[in-house]
Amino acid sequence: MNKLLEIKNLTKNYHTIEGECEAIKDFNLEVKNGEIISLVGPSGCGKSTLLSIISGLDKEYTGIINKDSKIKMAYMLQSDALLPWLTIYENALLGLKIKHNMTKENIEYVDYLLDFYNLKDFKNNYPKSLSGGMKQRVALIRTLALKPDILLLDEPFSALDQQSRLIISDDVYKILKKENKTAILVTHNIEEAIIFSDKVVVLSKRPAKIKKIIPIDIANKDSIYERRKDPNFHKYFDNIWKDLDNNES
Amino acid sequence: MSPEQKKFIKKIKINKIKIWLCQILIIILFLGMWEFFVNKGIISSFIYSSPSRIIKTVIELINNHNFFIHIFVTLKEVIIAFILGITLGFIIALILYEFKFLAKVMDPFLTMLNSLPKVALGPLIIIICGANSKSVIVMALLINLIVSIITIYNGFLCTDEYRLKLFKTMKASKIQTLTMLVIPSSYQTIIASFKLCVAQTLIGVIMGEFLVSKQGLGYLIVYGKQVFNLNYIMTGIVILALISYILYKLIVLLENKLLKHLRD
Repeated sequence: MNKLLEIKNLTKNYHTIEGECEAIKDFNLEVKNGEIISLVGPSGCGKSTLLSIISGLDKEYTGIINKDSKIKMAYMLQSDALLPWLTIYENALLGLKIKHNMTKENIEYVDYLLDFYNLKDFKNNYPKSLSGGMKQRVALIRTLALKPDILLLDEPFSALDQQSRLIISDDVYKILKKENKTAILVTHNIEEAIIFSDKVVVLSKRPAKIKKIIPIDIANKDSIYERRKDPNFHKYFDNIWKDLDNNES
Repeated sequence: MSPEQKKFIKKIKINKIKIWLCQILIIILFLGMWEFFVNKGIISSFIYSSPSRIIKTVIELINNHNFFIHIFVTLKEVIIAFILGITLGFIIALILYEFKFLAKVMDPFLTMLNSLPKVALGPLIIIICGANSKSVIVMALLINLIVSIITIYNGFLCTDEYRLKLFKTMKASKIQTLTMLVIPSSYQTIIASFKLCVAQTLIGVIMGEFLVSKQGLGYLIVYGKQVFNLNYIMTGIVILALISYILYKLIVLLENKLLKHLRD
């Protein structure tokens, strides 16, 4: 597997009037093609900041980020952030429109995705008529439409109810595996981190440092339900929990 | 349609008719009592006029004084000042939103201008613009502009932070973020500012006409005061009330058209 992204000695300081504070310290990570990596850590430890830096939104840091300039990244956020004045179809096409990339091929791909996720009949509806889970699915389609090489998932399921959360995260997992996508998932849900990832990165509290990188070796790649049944699931859970727990004391 | 659904729809319709009937009743009662008390001499017809006298005054004004010119002049001033107010307000709000530094610099001055009673500027405006319609429009503009700027600007500031982040992650240009996100997000606030602006413009125009004018409803009211014909004053007020109601309704129509999909 070839390397898509390499982060070396990443350090980030926040400046406020009250003073300077370290957000991230000496962060090192390699992301290989097709890998799903989860970042877990106490809330407010700088996980989202890491994604901002990786995506290039935040340019104020020290350290080295090696990536191919051709690599495309796309975000999925905690909120579906659909625009209420656009139809579902227009919302799904938003990214392509912004990037002036409305080719026939791309539009057909969006059509296919809407069909695949049973949203075809809602194409001309406005977001208000959809449930939270369906809206997040539209957000997923909007992200996938950009055909990113790396998906940056910033707690994308945390605003959903339990049932939608399971369904949508299974959707996302399946599509990531089917298309062999690379993804970095920020979450505070340990279960989610285990069932999604090839690697779980446990972060310390502020400043975020890598506490431990735990490779997840679950053979089943079919669905998150199957992965949850793996006999080692609880072992991983305990490991991550312990590492997180130690941070708090 | 199930009987329950039919019943439900009927209930809503009946409720609507009830509200409408009550409104008509209030108008009839109000006008009837006014006329009655004046006729019985309980209140003075000289000071309070009466509905029938107002109708007579309207007919008299139409026949002898070119009444429609007065309405037309006031309407023209209101419309010009309103359009200028919302257009300039929108543009200035956009500039303030795009240049946060400027917004911070301008903040105390805007607040100061907002609280300043603009009528105090009346004499100054008349000296600068002359004793004509222009002064009236400037007066109205001064009153409605600051409110428009502040409301529309605050609308822009309320743009959802997740949606802004989404646009950033998609590397949207500033123009795209403005035209595809910030401005559409603020439709509701912009319409609300239209409603405020209409009210403020009417205040400004009438105030302007009080200070300086040869025509218009404000002029009619001042003229009525000078010749001590209170029928003129009452007629002016009634016509103004009608105009403000119609203008407000027009904006509500626009609102329904623009925001159809946002309502539940």
